[in-house]
Amino acid sequence: MPLNWWTRQRHYFLYMLREFTALPMALWLIWLLYEISGLRSGAHGYTPPRSGLFVAFSVVVLLFSLYHSYTFLKLAGVIMRIKVLDRQIPSRVIVFTMFGAWAVASAVIAFVLIWFAR
Amino acid sequence: MADKTITVRAARFDPEHDKEPRLQSYEVPFYDESMVVLDALNHIKNHIDGSLSYRWSCRMGICGSCGMMVNGTPKLTCNAFLRDYWPRPVVVQPLNNFPLIRDLVIDMDDFMHKLKSIKPWIIRKQELPLGAGEHRQTNEQIDDFRQFSECINCMLCYAACPIYGLNEEFLGPAATALARRYNLDSRDEGLKDRLPVVAEAEGIWECSFVGECSVVCPKGVDPAKAIQQTKLDTTMRFVLPYGNRE
Repeated sequence: MPLNWWTRQRHYFLYMLREFTALPMALWLIWLLYEISGLRSGAHGYTPPRSGLFVAFSVVVLLFSLYHSYTFLKLAGVIMRIKVLDRQIPSRVIVFTMFGAWAVASAVIAFVLIWFAR
Repeated sequence: MADKTITVRAARFDPEHDKEPRLQSYEVPFYDESMVVLDALNHIKNHIDGSLSYRWSCRMGICGSCGMMVNGTPKLTCNAFLRDYWPRPVVVQPLNNFPLIRDLVIDMDDFMHKLKSIKPWIIRKQELPLGAGEHRQTNEQIDDFRQFSECINCMLCYAACPIYGLNEEFLGPAATALARRYNLDSRDEGLKDRLPVVAEAEGIWECSFVGECSVVCPKGVDPAKAIQQTKLDTTMRFVLPYGNRE
């Protein structure tokens, strides 16, 4: 296999992109854990970076996480076999339900964060 | 339209003289919109160059013999219409990821070995006597495995799978789909015979869900789904209490 095999087809490229998105997300989360660890010395120990570069990186990571979540939920719906009254639930129903649950969970978390930040 | 032609660039490889496969161009009459790539290869073989080697048999998408790379995509050449490529040339190469024997003929021993390893037949702990009648199944029970039983062993999924290309020890899409076909069959009791092959590191766990195997399948089988569902089932068997029961 040549090293550039993943550039041959759009599908391969999207697969590599999907897998790659986990890397910057992991870096961002490690950075978040590091920031949170500063709270051990009190509220003044929490000093999130405010540089434009970090904000830009965070926006990119947000886009990556949205793409990763989208692909995960889309594929997870294909995998799951759920039977109700001996009948298989169609994949699209599972996918739709999971996207709905994702939207609700995001809204609840956003509400809680904004509520406590006030 | 009798003088319309299409250029077919077919891979040629003679193991006794060539180090690498090379492409050879042929001008083939394209007189009928229903002509497929296999027709073009047969024309070359019959009228231009009898030394061209390739496999084919049924010409109707059932035997799975005529799988080749057509313009870089794994396809059954009996199901790849020239009208979809004309007036551009058609490049025909042997299936990716397999050792090459000659021209467009690949060595399928590895696949046959893997296919056999998952025991693609109904296994019973104890055979019922013929007098006991048929093994009856409901429509729902058949629906559980029906799509996985459509596999014709054409190996297009292996040619499309980069994981198999990078690690030939990988059990691969078609073999896993067939293992699932029998594991889901209500008449079968061979799950524990297949698990040692399917659930090992080079089995389902090697797959990272590229999904191209399901895209190229000419019979609408979804091997990627079979592999991921087997991962889920195998994990549940490990995690859940009493999950290891059959």
